[in-house]
Amino acid sequence: MKNLKFILLFNLLFSFSANALLEVNILKSKEAAFPIIIAPFEVIGDSKESIDIAKIIRDNLNRSGQFRALSTDTIITNKIDFDFWQEHKKDAVVFGKVEQVSPKIYNIYIYIYDVFSEKSLYQKKITVSNSGFRRMAHFLSDKIYYVLLGQKGSFNTRLSYVTVTENNSGGRTYKLQISDSDGFNPQTVVRSPNPILSPAWSKDQRKLAYVSFKNNRSEVFVMTPFLKTIPIRLPKFDGIASSPAWHPSGKSIALTISKQGNKDIYLYDLKSKKLERLTTNISIDTEASFSPDGNSIAFTSNRTGQVQIYIKNLKSGKISRATFEGRYNAKPVFSPNGKDLALIHRVGKDYRVALLDIKSRDLTVMTSNKSDESPYFSPNGGMIIFSTNRDNKGILSIISLYNNQIVELMQKTGEVREPTWSNYSN
Amino acid sequence: MSKKILLLSSVILLSSCASTNISELGDKFLDLINPSDAATEQVDLSGDATLIAMDETGGFTISELEQLSNDDLIAIAKEKGLEDLIVLDADGNLQNRDQIINAIVESGDLMDGKTAELESLSDDALIEMANSKGMGEMIILDADGNLANRDELINALMDAAVATLAIIQNFKNSSDSFILYFSYDDTEIDEISTRTIIEHANFMQDNPSVSLRLEGHADERGTREYNLALGENRALSVKEVLGLYNLDDRITVISYGEESPVLVGSNEEAWKENRRVEFSYY
Repeated sequence: MKNLKFILLFNLLFSFSANALLEVNILKSKEAAFPIIIAPFEVIGDSKESIDIAKIIRDNLNRSGQFRALSTDTIITNKIDFDFWQEHKKDAVVFGKVEQVSPKIYNIYIYIYDVFSEKSLYQKKITVSNSGFRRMAHFLSDKIYYVLLGQKGSFNTRLSYVTVTENNSGGRTYKLQISDSDGFNPQTVVRSPNPILSPAWSKDQRKLAYVSFKNNRSEVFVMTPFLKTIPIRLPKFDGIASSPAWHPSGKSIALTISKQGNKDIYLYDLKSKKLERLTTNISIDTEASFSPDGNSIAFTSNRTGQVQIYIKNLKSGKISRATFEGRYNAKPVFSPNGKDLALIHRVGKDYRVALLDIKSRDLTVMTSNKSDESPYFSPNGGMIIFSTNRDNKGILSIISLYNNQIVELMQKTGEVREPTWSNYSN
Repeated sequence: MSKKILLLSSVILLSSCASTNISELGDKFLDLINPSDAATEQVDLSGDATLIAMDETGGFTISELEQLSNDDLIAIAKEKGLEDLIVLDADGNLQNRDQIINAIVESGDLMDGKTAELESLSDDALIEMANSKGMGEMIILDADGNLANRDELINALMDAAVATLAIIQNFKNSSDSFILYFSYDDTEIDEISTRTIIEHANFMQDNPSVSLRLEGHADERGTREYNLALGENRALSVKEVLGLYNLDDRITVISYGEESPVLVGSNEEAWKENRRVEFSYY
């Protein structure tokens, strides 16, 4: 625990100079994490890149809650004192080097050793251009994660979220941003003086759906952030249109539409432009989330007078209630394996992220916050990102499902809210 | 503890250490490695496609605008006729950079408000609007059924809009109940609210040229999308009462959910103020 804090202090110092979400603190970290060493990478030749690959990897692995990754104060080149690391109970040692081969081209080498068997677990040489260093660090983080745990990591992925800042003149500026999974490299894709909410990635990561009030009412737009195309507005309706959720096929979007005032969930086919009604209840039905196989949706409804979560099997048409604990459960989202739902659960006066085992109906409250919102799973299911409040300011929070460690991300000024996590890039 | 490790590790690098037997089997992790993965490979990670944001900006991407100097932004603002918005401090530095960027982003819609809105309407939409304002007799169609007096009609609609604004202003001065409040997660209209709604119904019946927009809002508690739905239900329940007076056609309903609070704060006082429906005439 002390070691972790020592490393984190450095995070804080470095983070302030960067244009990114700031990592502010880690809460509730336990000792169960996997202790490893990630030495600074040796740099051969001229490297103007100030990007510290080893540090990015360390921060990534520590954020997962499954590792306690420490640095060394000198580089490791090829000889490892396994006895020393065994004595200090480190399970693996990672080191590497960055070698310039031409002004813009570099070779990156990485080596992973198991301390107890004293054997190489993995080594690799990768050629990369200077603009790809940060992506490379995330790619290597996923490699290390896979080599040591046998599971896919969630590092070479993106976050999207909405930021809100107050102008001098009292107005607000809303931005829809996309960043790397560690909050770095943020880029604004939509900017508006009117509210933006509910960003949702298509599974292939090419499209983003979101709700904008630019026309003074809630409407759903779809954009392709990587191409020069103008956002498409989904057909106009007489009432609200909101809460977009992509079908895993990417061919249709579930959304909440208010026709004659009745808020129901519809499936909009992007090609045929046809709407299929998925719920018909007179109450509020909204916040749809598709199961990974696309065969079910979970959604929020107040059909019994209480706000609860329901699951509709789209094949049989059967709707069953999913939450039974508490009087307010909303904003469900399926875990990548389809077995759990993350949701917002009211406890007394507080709204907290909870995890529901769909089959057993076991509900586990994950935080002790006052006002959590918008939970979303990392693509490997190991973490949940959500927004919450600290000192009356909206921040993002990432909780590890392995040891409940929480990492908080915030902006220097203004709020950050409604995070979603992209799927794996191909 | 960690310092000790860091210091010791530098010592290790100076001393030679035991050679490792890589061919030894029985490694607890080895089975986790995908063998095809181990060789050298080229990965093209260069040059992620630049994110482009075309939305709402006109000739500039948002990133471009954000990276421009203040002087450049001032120049663009002047080109777009936005110089009135520029606020400089005593040293001549731009004070409201964000506001200027927003204004440039929005500049497509920044012509002369109401006139621009009318100019942008199709003939059919103008005709529909004139009819809904009780000005049907003003419409002149040519032999082909097309609108013959577009400019005249726009002027008349402008005049009517000005007159309507005066009526609305007058009502605003005489009445102080333009907001109705609600209980937590509730759309129920209480007796006080009912009296207010009747007052508004009378006003609308007396003034057929005014239209009403009901804006529903929620407090910050609970999820954003549910609150968006809840806000609309609040506005709809007000509309339902007004509907008893046959005013449906002149009422539009929108919801801002929890996105537009009157009072920012996480306490009972703020929540009470924010659970509301606002009457907005036009």
